Amino acid sequence: MSKQPIDKITTPQTVVIISNFILGIGILTLPRTVTEKVKTPDGWITIILGGIIAILVAFIMVKLAGRFPGKSIFQFSKEITGKWIGAIISLCIILYYMALASFELRAMSETTRLFLLQGTPNWAIILPFIWVGLYLITGGINPIARMFEIIFPVTVLFFLLVMFLGIKVFEVDNLRPVLGMGLGPVMKGLTTTSLSFVGFEIIMIIFMFMKEPNRAMKATFIGLIIPLVFYSITFVMVVGSLTVDGVVTQTWPVLTFIRSFEIQGLLVERFDSLLLVVWIMQLFATFSVCYYAASLGLSQMFKKNINGFIYGLAPLIYIVSMVPKNINEMFEMGSMIGNFTLYFFSSVPVLLLLITLIRGKKS
Amino acid sequence: MKRRRKLLRNEEQQIESNEETILSCSDELSGDLSIDLGFIHQEIGQNSDVHVRELRIGPRNIKAAIIFIDGLCDLGQINNNILSSLMSVEDHECRDNELQPPLKELITAHKLSVGKVTETTSIKTLTTDIMIGYVGLLVDGMCEAFLLDVAQAKTRNIEEAQSEPLVRGPRVGFVENLSDNTALLRNHGKTQDLTIARFQVGSRIKKDLAVVYIKGIVNPELLEEVKQRIQKINIDDLPESGYVEQLIEDNQYSPFPQIQNTERPDRVMSALLEGRVGILLDGTPFALIAPVTFNMFLQSPEDYYERWIPGTLIRMLRYLATFIALFGPSLYIAFSSFHQGLIPTKLAISIASSREGVPFPPLIEALIMEVSIEILREAGLRLPKPVGQSLGIVGGLIVGEAAVQAGIVSPIMVIVVAVTAISSFTLPQYSIGITIRFLRFVVMLLSAIYGLYGVVLFFLLLCSHLVKLKSFHVPYLSPAVPYQLNDLKDFLIRAPLSMMKRRPKFMHTQDDKRK
Repeated sequence: MSKQPIDKITTPQTVVIISNFILGIGILTLPRTVTEKVKTPDGWITIILGGIIAILVAFIMVKLAGRFPGKSIFQFSKEITGKWIGAIISLCIILYYMALASFELRAMSETTRLFLLQGTPNWAIILPFIWVGLYLITGGINPIARMFEIIFPVTVLFFLLVMFLGIKVFEVDNLRPVLGMGLGPVMKGLTTTSLSFVGFEIIMIIFMFMKEPNRAMKATFIGLIIPLVFYSITFVMVVGSLTVDGVVTQTWPVLTFIRSFEIQGLLVERFDSLLLVVWIMQLFATFSVCYYAASLGLSQMFKKNINGFIYGLAPLIYIVSMVPKNINEMFEMGSMIGNFTLYFFSSVPVLLLLITLIRGKKS
Repeated sequence: MKRRRKLLRNEEQQIESNEETILSCSDELSGDLSIDLGFIHQEIGQNSDVHVRELRIGPRNIKAAIIFIDGLCDLGQINNNILSSLMSVEDHECRDNELQPPLKELITAHKLSVGKVTETTSIKTLTTDIMIGYVGLLVDGMCEAFLLDVAQAKTRNIEEAQSEPLVRGPRVGFVENLSDNTALLRNHGKTQDLTIARFQVGSRIKKDLAVVYIKGIVNPELLEEVKQRIQKINIDDLPESGYVEQLIEDNQYSPFPQIQNTERPDRVMSALLEGRVGILLDGTPFALIAPVTFNMFLQSPEDYYERWIPGTLIRMLRYLATFIALFGPSLYIAFSSFHQGLIPTKLAISIASSREGVPFPPLIEALIMEVSIEILREAGLRLPKPVGQSLGIVGGLIVGEAAVQAGIVSPIMVIVVAVTAISSFTLPQYSIGITIRFLRFVVMLLSAIYGLYGVVLFFLLLCSHLVKLKSFHVPYLSPAVPYQLNDLKDFLIRAPLSMMKRRPKFMHTQDDKRK
């Protein structure tokens, strides 16, 4: 346990943290990653199914966390499986969050370099970003939650606005036929879309901060529904405008889609870079939660004050983010993290819950 | 040595018994007028403005003296209500050479026609109170002195608040006198729940300070916190309420003001009704309101005095102006030197052509103009009004025009700077205006380095700071975050009054409903 008093977050704040965490760099590539697997315009069905799977897994996590009120997974995994296995589980999660933080940083930096700051070195973009994140998370969970409450409406409204500005290049025919090849291809993309919802596992950590833990289920549900709607809208708009073949060839299909139309008569003409600018805030949210979760995990594992770990992690995260040599290696890193998530978070919570259930019956 | 001790002993024996007590405890009054006067003389006699007027009461010629400070007391009252009535004690009042009723009662109950009379036996209290404007009355044979309040404070007339003028609203502003100010508040809100608690602050120069709140609304924990912080103030003098503000605020390293200051009683009153606490300091017309949230600095009482539609629109206009005042020049720098592709081509071309011949990059260009406009504003502020106006014309119009003609800055830059400056004037509070002006330079530098990314970085940093900031345990960005649906009625919009039936939730007031 950290020595600081435990702050409490409200239910809307929980929703916002979950949604903000899920919506990260993934949404900018989602239409491509899904379509690569599905190869038909039915990706939106895959997204919805993936979302449902994510919600089911999230429910297991909430059930698990609900059995240990006031404790995070770093603490209750130890109680369930014993000191050593619990420590390994915690360490895995901490490493996962560190890697994810680094990945988000690097992805942010790469897109910024591509669209806004050509020729600026990665370190120059990443370092100040880490500093701002560090400054925020030293305040604890409450400022983080409040920060997200600012970021969330700004980014979400702007994103939706830009999406709907593209309505004039949108063609419904590009999405037809629905289920033309049957359900087979839809199922192929299920892993990808489920993975796009990664982030909801944060509930096992922030559950301990909730003011009303009995509403955790509802909060997680809404927190997942928001990105689900978001993903669906994005996919429909992007694939509807760029067609299946067009989407697959683009690295950042969402940004390409926005680039494909120009709005005359406004102060700003092109919205792709502007969207990216606003989306940097969303990436900041994802990054700072990862950073905070990793620090919190370490502080709870070693039972020391969190601040030391926050400062200590900053250079580590920076170094890891500089490991990929180019954008392709960065995407590889992303899929490695994704694979880990898939196997780890689909099995461990279920196992933990089973063990608690069996033990609970014994006693 | 021996001889001296003997001498001393002889002297001691001569002194009367009651005087012995004086020596052992020199703070007490002796009752002997000449001795007491001697002590008082020792304490404050060196001051040339201390007046001692000796007199005799009644036909028995009881010795008495009044002591007062020149200029602090009302001479008319001293003459009419103290001197003349004491001197006119008549024969029939001293039957059989005995005063009937006893002297003390005669003086306090029959003779002194002064509103506030207190008694004291301590020389120290006596002298300190005389120094702040009381009249001290000593009577031979009495161990108590009277302190008469005939203070004549030098105050100015009640005028409109200079720093917060309104088109519609009461034309009343606080003055420098604390009791006038508390009276103004009482006048403004005639409720017995309005509580005024007095404190003394300042270790050397004692100043009166009043903590005002409404009983039954204010959160007791908040009140306790305010009182505790005030009692912790340890400084020799507090010339202005800004001292109090700086000594009790939460984070002294933040650029944002965490306590609001105002000259308007109506503003204080409405804050009190929201469950906040007001702090008034003697000697300044600026009252403090705590805790404060960011949006309060962007609100004007007029938002509420006007109907809700104009109130809402004007408020939104102010938010927009704040945004421009903060980000205007930095967005210009970002768009003109980093992201020309983002703005319409024609605009980009016209910016580029207007910048033709300008020898500086946009950042330097912006800095030249911004710094000179800040200098201009500061100069205009410190000069007498008529001079200030002509300075504005010379500085703003002539220099701006000439700078463009000379090709030092581009005309678009002048527009940007002018709009930014005007926008910053819409901020109804001076203290937040300074903050915004200062932060504008920070974001300009960041945007010169990173373009739009720098602007976003600054925004994230700013928000990170603001979400961490608290004013008396209230999050600074309430009610925007944490989300509080009910309080949002009075944030970006100003809902109709009939819809605002509850006090702000984040204040945790005792009485939630506005009845």
